[in-house]
Amino acid sequence: MTDVQRRAFLKSSAVALGAAMLGVSPGMSAATPKARVLVVGGGFGGTIAAKYLTMADPLIRVTLIEKDPVFLSCAMSNEVLSGERDLKDLTFNYRGLARRGIAVVQDEIQEIDPVAHFIRGTSGNRYNYDKLILSPGVSFRWDKIDGLTQEVAERFPHAWKAGPQTLKLRRQLEGMEDGGVFIIAAPPNPFRCPPGPYERAAQVAHYFKQHKPKSKILILDAKDAFSKQGLFQAGWKQHYGDMIEWVSGAAGGSVEGIDPKTGTLIGPVEDFPGQVINPIPHQKAGALAELAGLTDASGWCPVDQRTFASTLHPDIHVIGDACIAGAMPKSGYAANSQAKVCAAAIAAAVSGMPTPEPSYVNTCYSLIAPGHGISVAGVYALADGRIVEVEGAGGVSPSDADARIRAVEARFAHDWFRNITADMFT
Amino acid sequence: MKDRTRPSLLALGLMASLTASAAGVRSPGMLANTCAGCHGTLGASAGEQMPSIAGMDNGYLFSVLSDYKTGLRRSTIMGRLMKGYSDQEIWAIAAFFAEQPWVSTDRVARADQIRVGREIHERQCESCHEDAGRAQDDDSPRMAGQWSGYLNYALETCRDIGRRCHPNKMGERVMALSDQEIEALARFYESEK
Ligand SMILES: Cc1cc2nc3c(=O)[nH]c(=O)nc-3n(C[C@H](O)[C@H](O)[C@H](O)COP(=O)(O)OP(=O)(O)OC[C@H]3O[C@@H](n4cnc5c(N)ncnc54)[C@H](O)[C@@H]3O)c2cc1C
Ligand code: HEC
Ligand code: HEC
Repeated sequence: MTDVQRRAFLKSSAVALGAAMLGVSPGMSAATPKARVLVVGGGFGGTIAAKYLTMADPLIRVTLIEKDPVFLSCAMSNEVLSGERDLKDLTFNYRGLARRGIAVVQDEIQEIDPVAHFIRGTSGNRYNYDKLILSPGVSFRWDKIDGLTQEVAERFPHAWKAGPQTLKLRRQLEGMEDGGVFIIAAPPNPFRCPPGPYERAAQVAHYFKQHKPKSKILILDAKDAFSKQGLFQAGWKQHYGDMIEWVSGAAGGSVEGIDPKTGTLIGPVEDFPGQVINPIPHQKAGALAELAGLTDASGWCPVDQRTFASTLHPDIHVIGDACIAGAMPKSGYAANSQAKVCAAAIAAAVSGMPTPEPSYVNTCYSLIAPGHGISVAGVYALADGRIVEVEGAGGVSPSDADARIRAVEARFAHDWFRNITADMFT
Repeated sequence: MKDRTRPSLLALGLMASLTASAAGVRSPGMLANTCAGCHGTLGASAGEQMPSIAGMDNGYLFSVLSDYKTGLRRSTIMGRLMKGYSDQEIWAIAAFFAEQPWVSTDRVARADQIRVGREIHERQCESCHEDAGRAQDDDSPRMAGQWSGYLNYALETCRDIGRRCHPNKMGERVMALSDQEIEALARFYESEK
């Protein structure tokens, strides 16, 4: 896009976030930019890629394109279900990034031309790039659970993208009578936030314990094991007795269908009726990645794990949940870390420097009850082209930690959220 | 406290800078950026129990991070993370954060808390943590302007292990502090900028 086109576009675009900043930012008004980088998706991965690119080299012109006016964080959204937190606390705007000289534009990208190096949004606007970074998150596979369609999910919310779905599930839980059964269907690997369904069970149990103590929570799992399993199961027992029951895949927990008329989940052996049902669909890379031909048979995007360049279209990088990142899980922290590696690789490439040696970290805190936090951490390096965990490092909180340490970790969990969102939006 | 030269540190630093651009070596920025998701961009924390680490002394950071790695210093998560890095890498990370500007919190506590905290500080802590905790060197951290949540946590941890807290002279004094005194000290340091 020429500057004239850009100005025309900004005028015509219904909402150009931070548009006022465009003319005044030093990076933008300086001489010809070294490269034009577009980042699509202003979530955990995209915000960081945009910010760290401008930090690495102010001569790179960075545009962040996001379909929504604000970002709603999934992380900490389980606390909305327990009533411990308001959705407002999870809502962030892009003004801080605009102040850094990043052009933030609201548009939904629906076309990618990897050969001609441009993308196009539903606004009709076309954006040219030298390098494109996609961090579109996940999309749902509506063909895996019989009867679970996007429409049915409006009545039986997944709440796996924060927003109206989260509030809908919260209202259903509030409306449920004491003694009811709440069912979570946990998806098979790989999926966004491996500890998420189990933290959700704990947060809802915290709400039930106060308001509906006769109720039950059933987790029907496609898997036979899950993240931080020992810590979760011990924590559930400690705070909620046997309110939470987990049914593994092997024990018949793998949900095959849903009967929306009766509110029943259909398992291979048994059917499970519930008062509130939360089927979390099977997942794949965000729809945009698939549309651009960046996914493989697995439904996720294969990338060079040193640079996150797509192995299918090298000038397009894919980070976050959508990409295949070796041993790293699909988490906000992982997306943050991958975005920084990707930004460093692109900054080096456009200056003709050698590709830097990558370093990655993941951390996921989970909250079992107020004042009871647990964590998992991993440190990663590249070996033979694949992201691997550094041996001897990482792991989960000790199983024998005392109440003080659990309370300390709960506070660190909230601080993690403060800091990672500050890293993204300021 | 007086500056001490640490030959081993100098040697490590030299090694890190000589090899920084060699293939397979991870740059200080690459390593340090992974910390920001918890400690804030460039090590300036948004609070409240998570410490700011920008602008601390190079040697102090190196020894603290090494002590997390070996387990000499207690932690909830830093030990698990630091085991993933070589000594050279830890040196590079320490050097990176030492170069960033220190950012104090903008919090100021109630006058009565500050008064109690200052009084204990002057009697028991100023000898090592000079200038109301503003002074720092390769042996002890800056505390003025640090988040009180972190100082609280660090002092409680120190009190828990008593004489085994490093340095043991400090452990002995912290052992005798009440919850209220720890809180007052933490608020006092946080309010100093
Ligand atoms: C209940 C729950 C709890 C969680 N808790 C944690 C936690 O405690 N810690 C943690 O680290 N992670 C957590 N996660 C995981 C975390 O939310 C994801 O891993 C993270 O969001 C992935 O980042 P991303 O950038 O890939 O995708 P996202 O953060 O989802 O960002 C994608 C963005 O792209 C935009 N977008 C998509 N398509 C288009 C398009 N065509 N055009 C324009 N914009 C588009 C979307 O609107 C969105 O803003 C949790 C997830 C859930 C569901
Ligand atoms: C998962 C979050 C997390 C990550 C990632 C993380 N830290 Fe920490 N850090 C903490 C916590 C929590 C503490 C307090 C000690 C503890 O309980 O582990 C801490 C304490 C520290 C301290 C002690 C501060 C003082 O005043 O003595 C330093 C220094 C430090 N971290 C540096 C780092 C560096 C450098 C990195 C990156 C290589 C890093 N941290 C990555 C969470 C994190
Ligand atoms: C004998 C000197 C000495 C005295 C006296 C002393 N300190 Fe310290 N303090 C140190 C040193 C050295 C360290 C660094 C410890 C390390 O390397 O782990 C430290 C570290 C700290 C820390 C950070 C610990 C962490 O885990 O991040 C706090 C907080 C602190 N001191 C508070 C106090 C308070 C409050 C007092 C008075 C009650 C006090 N100190 C008295 C020497 C002292």
